[in-house]
Amino acid sequence: MSAADALSTAPLSAPARRADPARRFRVVEQPSRRRRPKLIYGVVALAGALAIGTAQMALSILTTQSSYELSTLTQEARQLTWQKQILYDDVAGLSSPQYLAANASALGMVIEESPSYLRLSDGALLGAGQAALGASSVDAIGRASVPNALITDTPLVTAPDATIEGAPVEADVVGMDGGVTNTPPPITDGLPTPSTH
Amino acid sequence: MTTRSTRSPRRRTVIALAVVLAVLAGFIVRLVDIQIVNADDHIADSMQVALGASRTLYGTRGEIVDETGQTLAGSILLYDGVLDPKNVGPLTREDEDGKRVVVPWKDVAAEIAAITGQTAEDVQKIVSEALAENADSQFAYLQRGLTTEQYRALVDIGAPFLTFDQHPARTYPDGAVAGNLVGFMSIDGDPLAGIEQSQNDCLLATDGSLSFEKGKDGVVIPGTEVQQPAVNGGTLQLTINRDLQWYLQQLIGEQVQDMGAKRGTITVVEVKTGKIRAAAEFPSVDPNDVSASEVENRYSHIFADTFEPGSTFKGLTGSIVLDAGGQDLSSTVVASSSETFPNGARVRDAFQHEAYQYTLAGVLIDSSNAGISKFSERVSPQTRFEYLQKFGIGSGSAIGFEGESRGLLYPVSQWDNQQLYNTSFGQGVTTTVPELVGAYDAIANGGMRMPLSLVESCTKADGTVITPDLPEPTQVISGQTSAEMREILENVAMQASYAKQVEVPGYRIATKTGTGEKSDGSGGYKAGVYFTTMIGFAPAEDPQYLVAVTLDEPTTVTSSSANAPAFQKAMTQVLKTYRVMPATTAPTLLPKFG
Repeated sequence: MSAADALSTAPLSAPARRADPARRFRVVEQPSRRRRPKLIYGVVALAGALAIGTAQMALSILTTQSSYELSTLTQEARQLTWQKQILYDDVAGLSSPQYLAANASALGMVIEESPSYLRLSDGALLGAGQAALGASSVDAIGRASVPNALITDTPLVTAPDATIEGAPVEADVVGMDGGVTNTPPPITDGLPTPSTH
Repeated sequence: MTTRSTRSPRRRTVIALAVVLAVLAGFIVRLVDIQIVNADDHIADSMQVALGASRTLYGTRGEIVDETGQTLAGSILLYDGVLDPKNVGPLTREDEDGKRVVVPWKDVAAEIAAITGQTAEDVQKIVSEALAENADSQFAYLQRGLTTEQYRALVDIGAPFLTFDQHPARTYPDGAVAGNLVGFMSIDGDPLAGIEQSQNDCLLATDGSLSFEKGKDGVVIPGTEVQQPAVNGGTLQLTINRDLQWYLQQLIGEQVQDMGAKRGTITVVEVKTGKIRAAAEFPSVDPNDVSASEVENRYSHIFADTFEPGSTFKGLTGSIVLDAGGQDLSSTVVASSSETFPNGARVRDAFQHEAYQYTLAGVLIDSSNAGISKFSERVSPQTRFEYLQKFGIGSGSAIGFEGESRGLLYPVSQWDNQQLYNTSFGQGVTTTVPELVGAYDAIANGGMRMPLSLVESCTKADGTVITPDLPEPTQVISGQTSAEMREILENVAMQASYAKQVEVPGYRIATKTGTGEKSDGSGGYKAGVYFTTMIGFAPAEDPQYLVAVTLDEPTTVTSSSANAPAFQKAMTQVLKTYRVMPATTAPTLLPKFG
């Protein structure tokens, strides 16, 4: 009985092992069929590679293209820089005080002596309040003593025959009939009019 | 476990790995060598082997501008035309019909010459001379400093043997206006004089470079540019007003000619700040054409010349005796036109007169040497010396101009009997224009001597503004003394013999003249010729501008009256330029005699 007991009680300790059917090995009838690789992956990979290639080529073409464009623009910029320099050289010195003063002198403007100020609050006149005497305190055109090599030969705007170094030939403008000396030359082509549209 | 069979594959693996690692290490070493250790050499090599090129990026030298920002000195580009004499020859061109025409060298030379302003023979001579010297010569300057217009026209000729180097150069739009101050530069870009030289640190640009690789057709290969940017020079702003400077240069030019003087100067200082607003002189230099002026006219005589000031020093002596000698406006001395002092010294006046009881105002109005000598006895010589030092005599100016001189004020121990008195009226001592205007600035500015300045600021390319460090102002005399002295100097302007000539209608001005004797270089004084000065300020009731006019050896009028017309016009122009309002108060007349 004891043995039967032992036998009868023994299976109770490990029933689970025997109960697992999956753990059983078996002989396969034939090897499982190899699955065919999906075509789509290959297509994607190839297309990707092609796309990358194309994109790179396109980019490269674009860069080259723009580098030519850049080169043209640089050339253009250089031309414009030259032009700017030429123009700058042309006008150099025209802003100088000598030129301004000589032009003003040629027009008959004078540098006046002491200034007067009108006080707006009460209309009071501060200063001497004298009229200009007609003589300039310096002779900017007749006795120019501040040279400027940039505009030595540049004609004045207001007196094309004169430069900052040379006096205009004013003495010759005496009227034939002994009249006013500063008579402007007669207008032959009618009054000058601005051209408008 | 390690049986023979298992050991063999493992050893193979280890050996293979070791080999791989060794090779890898070799590559890494080489890579580091190429990329890091010798990288620069390789880059340089690649630049040479490949179509690498590099060019200098020129930084622009900073501008010099005036008080209002007008350009006094700017930068342009000029070109040097370079001929390749060895390869000079006829050119082949296509005419309108597309036919090829050969232009002989003679005609090409004529075309070139027409543009550069040379003659065809000049151009041919440059080539033949270069070839005579060296038959393989490939370098001869056609002309340096060509303008952009000339450069483009020359390029259009299409001569392959004519190349150009571009280089930055300087231009001075206002010509000789402030040329004495601004200075000039050499054709190679080295500063040679004036502010160009002394402020070179501010103005100097740092050149950069651009290196790149070019394709076969000369197009830059993208991504190969390596740029080291150039840094432009700073903009230097001066305290000068260029319009005023021009007017005063024109004015002193006329005055020097009218008076038959050797040279003349006009200096304008803003009293309350010590800023020099104009420093005009004649003759001067046009920095655009330096060679047109004599060598001795290429620098600023205002700063470089010393002279015996003469009677302008009476203003200083007067201030000293008021400040330290217990004198006031009613104090008097008795002086005749010729006085012999106890120590044997003899002092004479410029005009004959009996013994007058002079007030200090009277002494300055008549510019009596004897009178100021007597006043000078009211303080010790040492006190006078110390005051003169505080006035800045003999110590130059805070400007530190290129080539600036200092006056010579001997210590009291070296004064002889005559000098003891002569120094009181400005003989036996030398000074400079900046020292003199500095001293008068103290008198006009409530006793406070402001350090003179010519540079307002330097604005660097990155925007940082650097202002020059100036010494502290010096309180030389008391405010009370300054007020009394201003009153005296105003009375000089009203009562002196030249009063009518210096009058500025509507304004109260103060002046003092000086007729300094000139050393003949052998211990004596030149006969009949003087260094004349007129210094003054306005408005006398609240001084704002100080004007000093000097003439060196005027001959038409030899005394300081020669300066009066120029002083009057200069002062008027200064008051106009700065919109100084006319006086609303009346001056007090001081008695000449006590």
